Amino acid sequence: MLTASILGELQDAVGADGLIIERNQLQTYECDGLSALRNLPAAVVLPRSTAQLQAVVRICARYSIPFVGRGAGTGLSGGALPDDRGIVISFSRMTHILGIDIPNQRVTVEAGVINAHVTQRVSQAGHFYAPDPSSQTVCTIGGNVAENSGGAHCLKYGFTTNHVLGLEVVLPTGELVHLGSPTLDAPGYDLAGVFVGSEGTLGVASSMTLRIVRRPETVQVLLAAFDSISAAGQTVSDIIAASILPAAMEIMDRLAIQAAEAAVHPHYPECEALLLVEVDGPAAEVDLHMQQVRELCKANGAWEDRLAQSEQERMLVWKGRKAAFAAAGRLSPDYIVQDGVIPRTKLPIVLEQVAEMAAAAGLRVCNVFHAGDGNLHPLVLYDAAIPGQEELAIDLSMRILYLCVDHGGSITGEHGVGREKQQALGYMYSEPDLDTMQRVRCSFDPENIANPDKVFPRPRLCGEKTGKYTPHPLETAGVAEFF
Amino acid sequence: MQDISTPLEAITGPQHLRTLGSAIAVAPGNSDEVAAVLGCAQKNHYAVVGLGGGTKQGWGNAVEPALILETHRLNALREHTWQDMTCVVEAGCTWGSMQSALAQHGQFVGLDPLWPERATVGGIVATNDSGALRLRYGGLRDLIIGMTIVLADGTIAHTGGKVVKNVAGYDLHKLMIGAFGTLGIITSVNFRLHSIPPCTQTFSLSAPAAEPLGKLLLKLLHAQFSTVAIQLRGSGEGFALDIQLASLPEVLVTQAAALEPMVRNEGDEVWHARQELMTRDLVCKGTLLPADIARFAERVRGMGGESVTQATGIMMAGFPAVAAEQVPQLRRELEEASGSLVVVKQPAETKLDRWGTPPDSFPLMREIKRRFDPEGILNPGRFLGGI
Repeated sequence: MLTASILGELQDAVGADGLIIERNQLQTYECDGLSALRNLPAAVVLPRSTAQLQAVVRICARYSIPFVGRGAGTGLSGGALPDDRGIVISFSRMTHILGIDIPNQRVTVEAGVINAHVTQRVSQAGHFYAPDPSSQTVCTIGGNVAENSGGAHCLKYGFTTNHVLGLEVVLPTGELVHLGSPTLDAPGYDLAGVFVGSEGTLGVASSMTLRIVRRPETVQVLLAAFDSISAAGQTVSDIIAASILPAAMEIMDRLAIQAAEAAVHPHYPECEALLLVEVDGPAAEVDLHMQQVRELCKANGAWEDRLAQSEQERMLVWKGRKAAFAAAGRLSPDYIVQDGVIPRTKLPIVLEQVAEMAAAAGLRVCNVFHAGDGNLHPLVLYDAAIPGQEELAIDLSMRILYLCVDHGGSITGEHGVGREKQQALGYMYSEPDLDTMQRVRCSFDPENIANPDKVFPRPRLCGEKTGKYTPHPLETAGVAEFF
Repeated sequence: MQDISTPLEAITGPQHLRTLGSAIAVAPGNSDEVAAVLGCAQKNHYAVVGLGGGTKQGWGNAVEPALILETHRLNALREHTWQDMTCVVEAGCTWGSMQSALAQHGQFVGLDPLWPERATVGGIVATNDSGALRLRYGGLRDLIIGMTIVLADGTIAHTGGKVVKNVAGYDLHKLMIGAFGTLGIITSVNFRLHSIPPCTQTFSLSAPAAEPLGKLLLKLLHAQFSTVAIQLRGSGEGFALDIQLASLPEVLVTQAAALEPMVRNEGDEVWHARQELMTRDLVCKGTLLPADIARFAERVRGMGGESVTQATGIMMAGFPAVAAEQVPQLRRELEEASGSLVVVKQPAETKLDRWGTPPDSFPLMREIKRRFDPEGILNPGRFLGGI
């Protein structure tokens, strides 16, 4: 619990209307998009400016209070899950676009700005902000930076990290620093590169300079229906082998198609596997590439291919894909969204093994994935009302991630490790790898207060030796504790 | 200082040890040997410098190494999974030999560094070199998906992986790019690859002043061409804007037709201009916003220098030695314009500060250095702020 005097200091920092301590109001912040994990924070603050944000973090540093930043709370790995002794810093009042520089293709925003608003503000000038997580109409840039968010179009355009040039960051010590810069290759270590995707464990960003991209002249989306996932997967490999780099390539299986159809009626063909290919660029190039893509689809047995003719048709096709996670609720009362990555060529074998594992566990798995970069989103369907089924589902979803690692992949392509996949990170990286990451974390956050007990397999304190457990001096002194 | 030749011989075998100037040079054959060598160096407080092709050893502050870690035995392209468009290459492999191997499957790493025939992957990564292709394919931070590094205490760490999309753990490899070997020795690098474009064409346009070319450069950045590279060259004789397009042959015909009223066809040798500048007495790397490119290209010419500036806002400028006294002022102007200036090369008698004003995050950089290399044996003093 926070003492009355600390609460008083927090109130001085953000004003009476910027501090939440009522239990019923705190409940709004007890979980993010991974709602299975819940924790009531001790307080929530809503700073309006970098100065207020810095004042809050200074208080946290002074009293060793854990804190976590929160944008829209759409994260899927429990990254914004509060610590029950800690503070949630909500960015819902830091929503200003601070500068738009079209000639240099840069935009500077506060951390609470919604992803889609960046594109809206620059689209008149013929530009867009490329990273497009499915939650882009509500999620914030600050959250995107913490998680290094991707989206369907990162196959061609890259992830958040490729689009963040500079950051203003409040370190866990309360200092304000600038990482990166509006120009490339600022002298010194690439701290912006390390900060993006650090899941709130290195501090909180107050504002950032982003790169925006010229809108392509033409965009075409093709839907192709296949009798098997492996035929659709082979088509993806063939397209890449033909030197075509589409803006996006997505595959949905029969269950996912049914769910999307029930939810938003995108008029998808009924089939075992649906491949969606978006090609963009100069018109003449797009025409030729799309012609090649259609030929490759046919060669792999596609029995229907449909080119979305209008902007409206294109949006509808994407709406179905982006609604797929939420639509899984139509198939099952409960489900887990997973986020493994495999080398593209391992797609057929991994999907086959996932199906076998699901059958053995007596559960259904629905597959939606960014096929172009091998990023699988298996949705493990279950019913929490049936005793034991939730445990089975969690176990299956974790074993799917281990399978991805066994095939040379990763446990997360865009959702982050958060609280959910801490143990799996230990499966993917060895102790020396994790120890090296810890050296970075301890440089930024020696007191371990920035989103502690996330990402890493087991809470570690700076200075602690790995291996056999020995209490840290801070712990012995009662200054810090494992929880 | 204790002579460590004997323990080093035990690690690599005596045939991989030699004397180079006043230093011992050792050539380990794998990451384990690198770890053992560094462990030995740390214990005995030997200052260590990594050496690949030796093309950029003069960059950064001068270091007097006691131990030179040569990477020429770490020269294999270990994996090229061309269907997945990724590769794993050892740090001592030259850029050119890596690219020729990748080209067998029509692929490449989309980067055009200096001296590709001699420079090694490790050295290019440590100095974060990049050329005009950065406009289309990004820099090393966008192309590297994983790395194996060895820290000063002999810890061997893997970061990232072999898949392009991966957000598990910190992007430690970004920390190593451009760190001048001050945090660890890179032993292998995992790249994402691109297809070699089927057809490319270069165009140029000359003008006596930079301004109209700068305007055209911005226009091209916003135009719908299949552009892979744009650079502005400037010298006492005037300025030229070079554009490279890459696409399918039938597409290039149309785009060339749209450009041709303005520009002339040019050979690919114009893209060597950056490397040619490196022979000048004094060479600086400037970073700037694209809209400032023309202004600073004029500024460099006014100092009697020549420049090649990529459209991404990275300038290489070569000067006669006499221009040295004006460099601090140029640095101030660039820093005021959100950019920077790093002195890459200078005559022995010129004592310009190499790195410029450290940023407000510098204490954090120093802390990272302390935790990665507590004894300060890796390239001591070479980097920004004497790191």
